[in-house]
Amino acid sequence: MFRFAPYVFKCLWRHRARTLLTVSGSAVALFVFCFVGSVQDGLERLTENEDAQRTLIVFQENRFCPTSSRLPEDYAGRIQKLSGVKDVMPVQVWTNNCRASLDVIVFNGAAAQKLQTARDLKLTAGNWAGFESRRDAALVGRNVAQRRSLSVGDQFSIGELSVKVVGIFQSPVPAEENLIYTNLQFLQYTQGLDSAGVVTQHEVHLTDDADPDAVARAIDEALRAGPVATTTRRKGAFQASTLADLVDLIGFAHWLGYACVGLVLSLVATTTVMAVQDRIREHAVLQTLGLRPARIFRLVIAESLLMCLVGGSIGTGLALAVLGWSGMSVGAEGATIAFRPSLELGVAGMLVSLVVGALAGVVPAWQAARAQIVAALRQG
Amino acid sequence: MALVEIRNLTKSFRKGDEVITPLDDVDLDIEQGDFVSLMGPSGTGKSTLLNLVAGIDRPDSGTITVAGTEVTRLSRGRLADWRAAHIGYIFQTHNLIPVLTAYENVELPTLLLPMSGAERRKRVEVALEAVSLTDRADHYPRQLSGGQEQRVGIARSIVANPTVVVADEPTGSLDAETSEQIQVLLGRLNRELNMTMLMVTHDEQVAAIAGRQLRLDRGRVIDANSSSNGQKQRLLAERG
Repeated sequence: MFRFAPYVFKCLWRHRARTLLTVSGSAVALFVFCFVGSVQDGLERLTENEDAQRTLIVFQENRFCPTSSRLPEDYAGRIQKLSGVKDVMPVQVWTNNCRASLDVIVFNGAAAQKLQTARDLKLTAGNWAGFESRRDAALVGRNVAQRRSLSVGDQFSIGELSVKVVGIFQSPVPAEENLIYTNLQFLQYTQGLDSAGVVTQHEVHLTDDADPDAVARAIDEALRAGPVATTTRRKGAFQASTLADLVDLIGFAHWLGYACVGLVLSLVATTTVMAVQDRIREHAVLQTLGLRPARIFRLVIAESLLMCLVGGSIGTGLALAVLGWSGMSVGAEGATIAFRPSLELGVAGMLVSLVVGALAGVVPAWQAARAQIVAALRQG
Repeated sequence: MALVEIRNLTKSFRKGDEVITPLDDVDLDIEQGDFVSLMGPSGTGKSTLLNLVAGIDRPDSGTITVAGTEVTRLSRGRLADWRAAHIGYIFQTHNLIPVLTAYENVELPTLLLPMSGAERRKRVEVALEAVSLTDRADHYPRQLSGGQEQRVGIARSIVANPTVVVADEPTGSLDAETSEQIQVLLGRLNRELNMTMLMVTHDEQVAAIAGRQLRLDRGRVIDANSSSNGQKQRLLAERG
């Protein structure tokens, strides 16, 4: 097969404008496919990881935006006493935009010590000591730092908030990298004195043997008599509910990804059909020289595969590079979905290119291989 | 036993409601080293017979045996393998692959045969030398004249050292001077390499180059041999 590789390359080069357009079309489609795939992956990581299933979020009943949820901070003590609860972290959330946005900034205020035990944050710059010693200190997630070009020592202001960046962190949960952590009290007092002692939510960590849903019911039951009623859900369910509008949109975008695959299929198939129709006589000559129909079939498939793989590699590579470099995310109501590149996404992009390339070539390759030699030689 | 044995060969076509039978119960033997020309007006089945011998078409009935292999019984894939090893085909319109150089075009049939790279290179060089085109090896078909293209086609047909070389109007698209050069070349290959050749032509002057001249008439092959040996020798001498 490789003996005929120069022939395959030269055939593609013969109509280079057509080949280039097909390759670029495949690249664009695979770029979109990978981009949409990363959004889908981000949502799945956010709602289905172990942390999302074994952690509970206590929120004010019938409230959705973090700005409208106001829970007493001392609820933490009452929750802590319940069976199955290992630890409780009161969190104050501040966001610059409750609606869906591609550049949402979310501050989470939490006690430094709680933060260190509850989160698996790895500082890539700065240190924890700086965070504990400064009232307006902030630890900035890698994605936000990348997006807003922030580094340690910078003063970052947005709305009424102004913080000093004392560290940049990365996290095994990509969505965490879209957050900025500050001290709890700093965030509470910045929003006015009436916010003292009030938090947006309580994050409840469970013991290994606890049933999350049973503990959630117990929390809501225990706090029913308190000044503010609560709704407690698993973190994954809470985030899915918070991002409900976006989830529908992402579900639709998912189909857009498949549409891109269909687009590549028809694009490459059209180009391959044109290439085969241009060369009916040439393929007949090759068969006359002794090429088996099966080899003609493979040569046509090879052309289609090459176009798709080259375009797919470029599109997938570009998508991974942009995803890695841009630190993009989409957020709503304080929850964010990180668009991250991954090996799985790269492999999926290449596999799709491979399968689509092969499929797109099947019909024209079959036509070329089944052509009657004498009739084909009379053409042209 | 003849190198090529054709027995009771029949081939029909349907043209609308009419059935045309260009070959009707044809018998023919071709010996090793023969140079056979097949003449006749257009539509008499010359090319059909040539294509059947070359294994690129199937008869309705009858058999073709080449060097002991009954070609008509081979499957499509095996027939392709057989063509690669036993048939050299010279087309009227050269039919070179436009994206390949002269060298690569000549090399094509050898890619299908089991041989080393060195052997392949040697064969291509010898074939190009035989048609005096060594200096045009790197040229693409569009950079060659019609006569040069046909010489590349001839080199491609002999490079695998086939059992039979078939030529379908090999001078049909060439001017008189180039046509004569090609005729001389074909005659030389037949004499010097003892290649068995079957050539279709409607030009009696071209047919005269062959040692044996046949004519197709109403579906039957007639041994025309109108040109005597002396006439043929004279023609060959005149053309160098």
